[in-house]
Amino acid sequence: MFSRMAPRGRSGLGRSLAELGLLLLAILVLLDGTVLSLEAATSSEIDTHEGKPGTHKNTSKKSFPVLGIKYDDVSVPFEISLWVLLASLMKLGFHLIPRLSNVVPESCLLISVGLLVGGILKLARDEVPPVLSDRIFFLCLLPPIILDAGYFLPIRPFVENIGTILMFAVVGTLWNAFFVGGLIYAVCQIAQDKYSEIDLSNIGILPCLLFGSIISAVDPVAVLAVFEEIHINELLHILVFGESLLNDAVTVVLYHLFEEFMESGSVSAVDAILGLVSFLIVALGGVLVGAFYGILAAFTSRFTSHTRVIEPLFVFLYSYMAYLSAEVFHLSGIMSLIACGAVMRPYVEANISHKSHTTIKYFLKMWSSVSETLIFIFLGVATVEGEHHWNWVFLTSTVVLCLVARVIGVVGLTYIINKFRIVKLTTKDQFIIAYGGLRGAIAFSLGFILHSEHKKIFLTAIITVIFFTVFVQGMTIKPLVELLAVKKKHEAKRSINEEIHTRFLDHLLTGIEDICGHYGHHHWKNKLNRFNKKYVKKILIAGDRSKEPQLIAFYHKLEMKNAIQMVESGGGSKLNSTFPSTVSMQNIQPKIHSPPSARPSERALPQLTKGREEEIRQILRTNLQKTRQRLQSYNRHTLVVDPDEEGFDDLILKKRRMMELDWKVCKTSSHKSSNAIYSQAYVKPGAENVPTIKIDLASPQSPDSVRLLDEVVQDQGLTMSLPSSSSRAYKTSGKDDGRDQQKLLRCLSDPGPDVDDDEDYDDDEPVPT
Amino acid sequence: MGSSRSSLRRVPDGQQLLQETGCEPERWFCLGLRSEDLEAELSENPIGDRIVGAFFQPGQETVDFPSFVRVLAHFRPTEKNRTRDGVQPEPANSRNRKLKFAFQLYDQDRDGKISRTELLQVLREMLGLQVTEEQLQSIAERAIQEADLDRDDAICFDKFRKSLEKVDIDHKMSVRFLE
Repeated sequence: MFSRMAPRGRSGLGRSLAELGLLLLAILVLLDGTVLSLEAATSSEIDTHEGKPGTHKNTSKKSFPVLGIKYDDVSVPFEISLWVLLASLMKLGFHLIPRLSNVVPESCLLISVGLLVGGILKLARDEVPPVLSDRIFFLCLLPPIILDAGYFLPIRPFVENIGTILMFAVVGTLWNAFFVGGLIYAVCQIAQDKYSEIDLSNIGILPCLLFGSIISAVDPVAVLAVFEEIHINELLHILVFGESLLNDAVTVVLYHLFEEFMESGSVSAVDAILGLVSFLIVALGGVLVGAFYGILAAFTSRFTSHTRVIEPLFVFLYSYMAYLSAEVFHLSGIMSLIACGAVMRPYVEANISHKSHTTIKYFLKMWSSVSETLIFIFLGVATVEGEHHWNWVFLTSTVVLCLVARVIGVVGLTYIINKFRIVKLTTKDQFIIAYGGLRGAIAFSLGFILHSEHKKIFLTAIITVIFFTVFVQGMTIKPLVELLAVKKKHEAKRSINEEIHTRFLDHLLTGIEDICGHYGHHHWKNKLNRFNKKYVKKILIAGDRSKEPQLIAFYHKLEMKNAIQMVESGGGSKLNSTFPSTVSMQNIQPKIHSPPSARPSERALPQLTKGREEEIRQILRTNLQKTRQRLQSYNRHTLVVDPDEEGFDDLILKKRRMMELDWKVCKTSSHKSSNAIYSQAYVKPGAENVPTIKIDLASPQSPDSVRLLDEVVQDQGLTMSLPSSSSRAYKTSGKDDGRDQQKLLRCLSDPGPDVDDDEDYDDDEPVPT
Repeated sequence: MGSSRSSLRRVPDGQQLLQETGCEPERWFCLGLRSEDLEAELSENPIGDRIVGAFFQPGQETVDFPSFVRVLAHFRPTEKNRTRDGVQPEPANSRNRKLKFAFQLYDQDRDGKISRTELLQVLREMLGLQVTEEQLQSIAERAIQEADLDRDDAICFDKFRKSLEKVDIDHKMSVRFLE
């Protein structure tokens, strides 16, 4: 492999990189596998050794142990960390090989890795630790993913399509469960496979129905993993994803119902009715529990203005408590978590600081990403581990029946739903919805905790269906989406215009509905908004912000983002190159004695003299040009913002702002003190008593102002003063005193290929990386 | 359609209205116009005046039934699969017409553009007393800057339409009742 590198030249470099990556991957897998097995081996050795030293102690004096192995104490955390490390390294590895990750969805790759690791472990030790226990799965791995989904759930499309989603989730899952369960029972009775050792006709109707209910639920983890990569339009995404979230209630009820029936042995009509009632309780109860914790979280966040550091902790803890409390009462934990996240978000975001907001976002993304990776890997490992009973009739008929049930269900339901929808679902939409019904780890875990005698064959069948849906459907859905030319997600940023006009239309439609006398969608929404504004916001949002209308909040958010981007792309470029020479805390002198030089390094001080202003002007102009140049050669890995065609408007906006600043600085620089520069930096040219928007970085949305000048004068560390006339918008609160400029930039920027940002109350979801 | 023919005769220009708006106007006689409630609701609506004003043709003091129907026809749900021959005029409830209607609500002086003052007025109505004048100015400023391509300090219909392209207008600007 390496010998071929030389003659190929440039293309060879790319290919060798890929090969290197593959090699790395293989080595990592082997390494981790062997280390794990070694540890297991050493742990067992140590166990056996434990017995012996005790007898020796009495006889001889042991010399002081300079080096020893004490694995037992740390074995559990060690192994957990090793698994997580493996998962993360795998993820890293996949993204180094772009060709692979374009064709195969990540979930498939991860399952394959899991299979590999499981195989290695099995060979090494002949017995694999049962890693995907249901407790680990349901208590540790699933909640982060669901919380991530719930917190960033795009509320507006979700609520607009709630009827459709509920139909699919409830009726669709019921249909699937009974269809698959019933027909599998029929198949078992009919099929007489002489070669299999299992007598299929032994399987009663109730176990079959139980099996059907487990296998019929669309899995949110798998759907998220696959749909995330195909960037499908918002409607379809929210339909399939919403269905996968809400069908948890149905699954929980059906599962417990059939389990109870299996124990008691007989079913009566009363039981069926009780089942229905139980469904309502499970679903509504879950939502109520979640909403309760959400309100608590929102209320708590109202008082956290002095302890900003632990704000994210409250969000996570309350959500987890919501999940656990729901699980205690056998309510739907998933629905509770979703309700909690969705309810608390608008209020919490109005209360917490910008940094906490970023922290929450990144922690959720990180945890859910790691969880997802671990789930798929463990799925692979568990596949290798378990005993499988291969019965081709059962397996193939299960897969076929699942597909058929899904298609019939979707088509039938859409026919009914379209009678009530304003925007009908087309055939293409139906196909994608049907095809996107992936099964995943939840089905596996539910199967894992079965107490039936047919557990093994059920588990095998479940795994087969999961593999089929994830591999076959997961891999082919992307080309199919391209082939069918399904509408893709529109990546444009939200503009202030859109926001204004959307609100305008809201009011317009409310008015029209009033004229028609028809209490539609907008009417109730309006009522809810008014109630929200009048009562709820006052209680749950701290201080002034409770009265801030959403449009203003949105506007401030936009302005702040703009300011940050402007500094980073415009101002940062110049400073970064000279940064090492400029700022270190010790070198800052309050006064510049040396004459202003051409080096930008000298300029990093708050007091301005005439010569300095000239330099400032110079820098602003060059930065302006530099901004344009840099932004045109955009690359997702080097810069933060992506000005595609839609971003052109943003670009123009920024450019105008820079020019205004430049103009203003020139105008006011000569005789006023440096005070003027900061406070008037964002002034419309030529106007007196002009509006200044002062933005406080301490909050994502607040119009509170920051005592900018105090900070700069007292704080010797805060040196970026120039493009700082543009960055006045985003000086951090006092906590950042003493930090140097680069750290300031870094900590305020959102690193990484963050394609889109989350929005407030109503809107678009972020694209998770 | 047989029975409705007789009722169509009752409505002046009934046949023509049917052509134009695509719906049977006599059904709309039974719209529940409860005037007291309506007044209360509309007065709470920030742009209530504009909406009411949209029904009146410029210069007219009263609304007659055809104009009423014509305005409301904009809010019928769009039918996606209708085949149109080129001869028929664009139906009232097409996406374009809906947007045009909304645009006209902004653009009171009918000059085809939303000027800064018009935008400010709308913002003032929508946000009212909750914000300061300066904040309104800044928002209007930013909105114009974002949307204004030809530097005339106003938003033209094309840009208006473009900024709403992500929004599902067919869904948003339809009242199901009016099918």
